[in-house]
Amino acid sequence: MQNTLLTSARTSVGKLGTGLALLLVLLMLFGATETYAQSVRAPGNAVNLDDGIEDGPSNALGDDSQSDFWRNFRGGDPNDIKQMLEARPEGAVLTTTGQHWRELRENYIRKYAGWFPLGVIALLLLYHLIKGKMRIKGGFSGKTLPRFNINQRVSHWFMASVFTILGVTGLIILLGRPLIAPYLGKEVNSVLTSASMQGHNLFGPLFIVALVWMFIKFVRGNFFQWVDLKWIFKLGGFFGGHVSSSQFNFGEKSWFWLVILVGIVMSGTGILLLFPWLVDDLRWLQLSTILHAGGAILLISVLFGHIYVGTAGMEGSIDSMLKGEVDENWAKEHHDLWYEEVTGKSATEEEGTS
Amino acid sequence: MTFLQFVEGPLFYVAAAIFVVGVVYRLIGILRLGGERDLARPNGSATGGAILTVLRHFVPRRTFWRGSSFHFVAGYAFHLGLFVLLLLAAPHVAFLQERVLGFGWPVLPHWAFILTAEVAFAGLIMLWVRRFVDPVQKLISTSGDYAATILTFLVMLTGCLALQESHVALRATHMVFVDIWLIYFPFSRLIHTFTFFFSRAQTGATYGRRGAKL
Repeated sequence: MQNTLLTSARTSVGKLGTGLALLLVLLMLFGATETYAQSVRAPGNAVNLDDGIEDGPSNALGDDSQSDFWRNFRGGDPNDIKQMLEARPEGAVLTTTGQHWRELRENYIRKYAGWFPLGVIALLLLYHLIKGKMRIKGGFSGKTLPRFNINQRVSHWFMASVFTILGVTGLIILLGRPLIAPYLGKEVNSVLTSASMQGHNLFGPLFIVALVWMFIKFVRGNFFQWVDLKWIFKLGGFFGGHVSSSQFNFGEKSWFWLVILVGIVMSGTGILLLFPWLVDDLRWLQLSTILHAGGAILLISVLFGHIYVGTAGMEGSIDSMLKGEVDENWAKEHHDLWYEEVTGKSATEEEGTS
Repeated sequence: MTFLQFVEGPLFYVAAAIFVVGVVYRLIGILRLGGERDLARPNGSATGGAILTVLRHFVPRRTFWRGSSFHFVAGYAFHLGLFVLLLLAAPHVAFLQERVLGFGWPVLPHWAFILTAEVAFAGLIMLWVRRFVDPVQKLISTSGDYAATILTFLVMLTGCLALQESHVALRATHMVFVDIWLIYFPFSRLIHTFTFFFSRAQTGATYGRRGAKL
């Protein structure tokens, strides 16, 4: 009895399924789906994207490879520095230079920048331990020569003050994340970075003022001369021997021009970073951050050498920038040509014999 | 009470009270010093001499221009900059309105604030540098001069570092230096903010009474 009922039910369901399948085929054949589509038709102002396309989107990439397609899409090869500089944003749909800029900044500049100043300090310490302070051979004579006037000294220390503030705040901005955050915490780094950014932006324009002032006050006497070649060949006398020089030696002149030229780059890039709307291409700003950071590390590194020679490294040097005067024996030893020029006496002959 | 609330509240009010009482005490002390009565017949007006000297000394005489141009430029850059920042910076006006006066006034736009701060900082740094590289000025400078300069610099610097107003710690640091500055003010070289008027007036009155050409 039960089997009879099950068999009957199966037969009924099979007939119903067959019927529904036939109905679906009939509906499809007579365009019932069109009726369904019309019931949810698009608004009157809609655009039918299928209009005009006969064969569908086959061979969309044409004969280009995937890499060529995406390279063109993003507007040039981001690994090509020339293209990075020359490519115009109008031609690009998508730029990936930001990713490469970020990698350069994170993986190279932030990772290694701090080692350059530290390396210079280590070299100076090593030199000082081996050679010691460079003494005035004849000792202080007690007689002095005017070397820098009051305006030169004020401009020098004005630049030194502004540079110190910019250097400290700049290093916190650049290296805070890898050097401060892991040890003092992200909150401390955030506070210091916020403060440094405000201070850096505030004192940046004063650096330009200081740069112009220093250039005007010190350019005279800082042009390179043939006698500077002797200074180079004798390594500045740092490893023995006397080196003749005029008012400024090759090292001082190089430092002056380094400050001026790199300072111009720092000023230009700093202005772009301070007023980013001056350019419409983001790559100028990316390039500016790289040049700004690189220039800063270069100046800070060499600055340690300048500070060393001006203070602990050479006896009598600091007087020139604090008092404006230097001892005559210091002048004879380190700037003999200048000594002869301003005194009219020979630097090699003893007092009273000339 | 947070640390910021403390330095902006009780400590600030105590510092401000010490500032006001201290300045008044110092000025009354100077006035009470008096002077010996001049029995000579006056050849001119002491009051006129005093007023004229107070005003004329704001600009150096032509004879002294060459030697004092640096101090004229740097001095005005710093002092005018500082007063503009003190009285017209938006956070200062908001603070005074909320905590002290109950009313405010128009403030500097942000760009003008930055420009004024740069002028003030340039002036202050130049004056400070000159103090230790000029042999004469170095000779007459005391530790009090350097302390006043450095403290004022730190007040200005911490204020500018807190400009983003995104960290309580920076605002609190600025307020700590402001409070110290207010307490230190009456008993230091900073009192010249008020006493310059007395010294000029005294000199002007003396020479004005004698009929000297001022």
